[in-house]
Amino acid sequence: MITFLTRRLMLMIPTLWVIATLTFFMMRLAPGGPFMSEKDIPVATKTQLLHQYGLDKPLVQQYGMFLVNAVRFDFGPSYKYPQQQVREIIAEGFKVSAELGGWALLLSLLLGVPIGIIAAVNQNRAPDHAAMALALAGVSIPNFVLGPVLVLVFSLTLYWLPPALWRGPETRILPVLALAVSYVAYIARLTRAGMLEVLRQDYIRTARAKGLSERVVVLKHALKLGILPVVSYLGPAAARIIMGSIVIEQIFAIPGLGRYLVIGATNKDYTLVLGVVLFYASFLMALNLLVDIAYTWLDPRVELR
Amino acid sequence: MSPRRHFASFPFVVLLALSACTPPARDHRYFGSITPPQGQVFRFNNGAEPEGTDPGVISGQPDGRVARMLFEGLVTADPQTLEPRPGLAYRWESSADGLVYTYHLRPGLLWSDGTSLTSRDFLYSWTRALDPITVSRNASLLYPVRNGERFNKGELTDAAQLGLAAPDDSTFVVTLENPTAYWLFLNSYYTFLPVPRHTIEKWGVRWTRPEHIVNNGPFNLAYWKQYDRFEFIPNEKYWDRSAVKLERIIAYTVDDLNTSTNLYKAGVIDWNPSGYIPGPFIPQMQPFEDFRKGSYQGVYFYSVNVTRKPYDNAHVRRALNLAIDRLAITRDVLKGSREPWGRITPSGYPGYEGAVQVAYDPARAREELAKAGYPGGKGFPKLNILFNTSEDHRRIAETIQAMWKRDLGIQVELSNQDWGSYLQATTSLQYDVARRSWIGDYLDPNSFLQLLTTGDGNNRSGWSDPEYDALIKLAARTLDPAERFRVLQRAETMAVEAAPFLPIYHYSTIELVKPWVRGLYPTALDTHPLKAVFLDHEWQQHQPRAGGNQP
Repeated sequence: MITFLTRRLMLMIPTLWVIATLTFFMMRLAPGGPFMSEKDIPVATKTQLLHQYGLDKPLVQQYGMFLVNAVRFDFGPSYKYPQQQVREIIAEGFKVSAELGGWALLLSLLLGVPIGIIAAVNQNRAPDHAAMALALAGVSIPNFVLGPVLVLVFSLTLYWLPPALWRGPETRILPVLALAVSYVAYIARLTRAGMLEVLRQDYIRTARAKGLSERVVVLKHALKLGILPVVSYLGPAAARIIMGSIVIEQIFAIPGLGRYLVIGATNKDYTLVLGVVLFYASFLMALNLLVDIAYTWLDPRVELR
Repeated sequence: MSPRRHFASFPFVVLLALSACTPPARDHRYFGSITPPQGQVFRFNNGAEPEGTDPGVISGQPDGRVARMLFEGLVTADPQTLEPRPGLAYRWESSADGLVYTYHLRPGLLWSDGTSLTSRDFLYSWTRALDPITVSRNASLLYPVRNGERFNKGELTDAAQLGLAAPDDSTFVVTLENPTAYWLFLNSYYTFLPVPRHTIEKWGVRWTRPEHIVNNGPFNLAYWKQYDRFEFIPNEKYWDRSAVKLERIIAYTVDDLNTSTNLYKAGVIDWNPSGYIPGPFIPQMQPFEDFRKGSYQGVYFYSVNVTRKPYDNAHVRRALNLAIDRLAITRDVLKGSREPWGRITPSGYPGYEGAVQVAYDPARAREELAKAGYPGGKGFPKLNILFNTSEDHRRIAETIQAMWKRDLGIQVELSNQDWGSYLQATTSLQYDVARRSWIGDYLDPNSFLQLLTTGDGNNRSGWSDPEYDALIKLAARTLDPAERFRVLQRAETMAVEAAPFLPIYHYSTIELVKPWVRGLYPTALDTHPLKAVFLDHEWQQHQPRAGGNQP
């Protein structure tokens, strides 16, 4: 276990380095720079700006400085919003994205797993067909369509909920719903598939033969293994749901981290983009590691080496 | 209960819970909710996140709006006409030659932290804005100050040689390079606002954060969260505190046009400012009483790169100019939301007539093209129209593409680029014809005509004419306002004839304002002093007026 953890952590370093390097040079290759504007700025001002941010130094030196700072996770101030450190932007934005993603993930599990179980237990009967039809719809409707439809119905026609912003609990409902629906559907399908496989196995038959109630067989014996596909999906899902909320954050004007990736890239805000990309990369790797550890706990046959 | 019934009941539970909220009042004459907020709390969308709020450094409309709430300068703008009105200076006088302005400050002015504000603060602030170290984006607005331009460009390092002086605490004297007719208009621009030296020296670039900021305007910054919102409360130390009626202003940071309009409709914001209504919805919104359209000092135009052949030939440029049917564009593509426009300066300068507008004339366009040596478009190289990625720009470019093909017989291709690449291409003159636009900084035709002078950083067409430059310089030295406008008009006529810019339409301000908002007016620069704005909770008893906003 210890060697496994050490090896995985050691592997993260070169991966992060490759990501950092690629991002650094790709940003520089893109045309335009952080201080291009529609209105002209005098040469002296531009020179001063480039000097202040060390952009007048040779590229190799800039790259070196960036790597040294990246190790300390200190990217300096954002070029576009100089009164904010990139670190501060990430911390604030991530809090919001994590909350949005957290609620959505929770909702997906609370709805998706029961739906999947019900479908599996009633395989090929009406509840199964209904659940899977819903799941298919949920997976097929992209959130950039679902979000505006929810807004149109609940905010602009019925006037029940605010159409955007991130303030009181009432502002959470629509974005969380819009973000969660496709995950509910996917988790329901995964649970159903996992459960169907497990329910056919010998140890389930043994449990039933022992005279255990159907409820105990399904929820205690079968679910623990049947949910494994969902668990392995949770890592990428958590990463995707938290990072992939860019569209939802845009539609609902939520100050999350996903928006900064887009804004930073359009603004050529080098430090911001590098900071956010590296943060996301580390976050994704950490989640994957956690999933692998969770696996051993759920399925004793899996061993970490 | 079968699992299936469980399923079916879930949405109804949610709906039942939701229906407990009371829907707001509505009226077919208004767009969306007409339930006003409690108390004197004014909520609006400020648009994209400001890059900063340091008045001496920033540029951009959302940035300026915040700066103008927090700070006040010597001269403020009238909320309706934008004419100069006394701000921190209660009076001023100018010398007979128009070169020296003397401002007299109100007594007992204070910063929000209680320290006194004197003319030395203006000396510091204006010098700071001109100092290249400050990297002010709008320092060029201070170039009329004697030696201002040389100091900003690093050609002069001694700040004492600037035409700025504070002989005593309540007097500020400014000496100009040339008599500048629009100098007082400029003074109400945010670059001219005072900034607190003691705070800036203590906190550096982070001095504008809510925990550090010291300001002097009608409002203080109570809260800020990036890409979320700003909240303002009245500044108790403000000299005209009694004129401030609002208890709180909430300025949301919503950059998406649809979201902004949704928030307005749902009644979450009271004002959806110009530029935040999606274009395709504008025609449907026109009938509502809270829809407001006004003239905006901006022109949408195509710029021709005169350093490339055959666009160095004025006949070619004139042919292109004459073959644009502006009326068809504004009527069919823009659905009447903008006005067709055929000259370089916009409307709205009292006393300035401007050049005769170019009108659509396909026959003359063909003649001009023949004079250039391309009868019927024969032998004319393929022309490329460059624009930054946007649906509206594309539709206009496609329409002009068809017009030039139909009337001139020339082949036109379109290329769209992302913002950064587009800026790079236009500044480095890597294009044939490019979409551009210009919004005036101050109410004077010079704000537009200056662009076409040789070497101006915003010229971006390569066009240069010593005679034109001389006229612009002459106008700057001319004291008599009528004479000065005549000189500028001559310059504009020259530029319209030479056609490095092909004007297309005149901008409009298009905004949504809830009927209870008072003191917010459409203005030519789309700037809105919020100091005297208030909410009228008895608005329904008061006679509703079309676009009416009289307190």
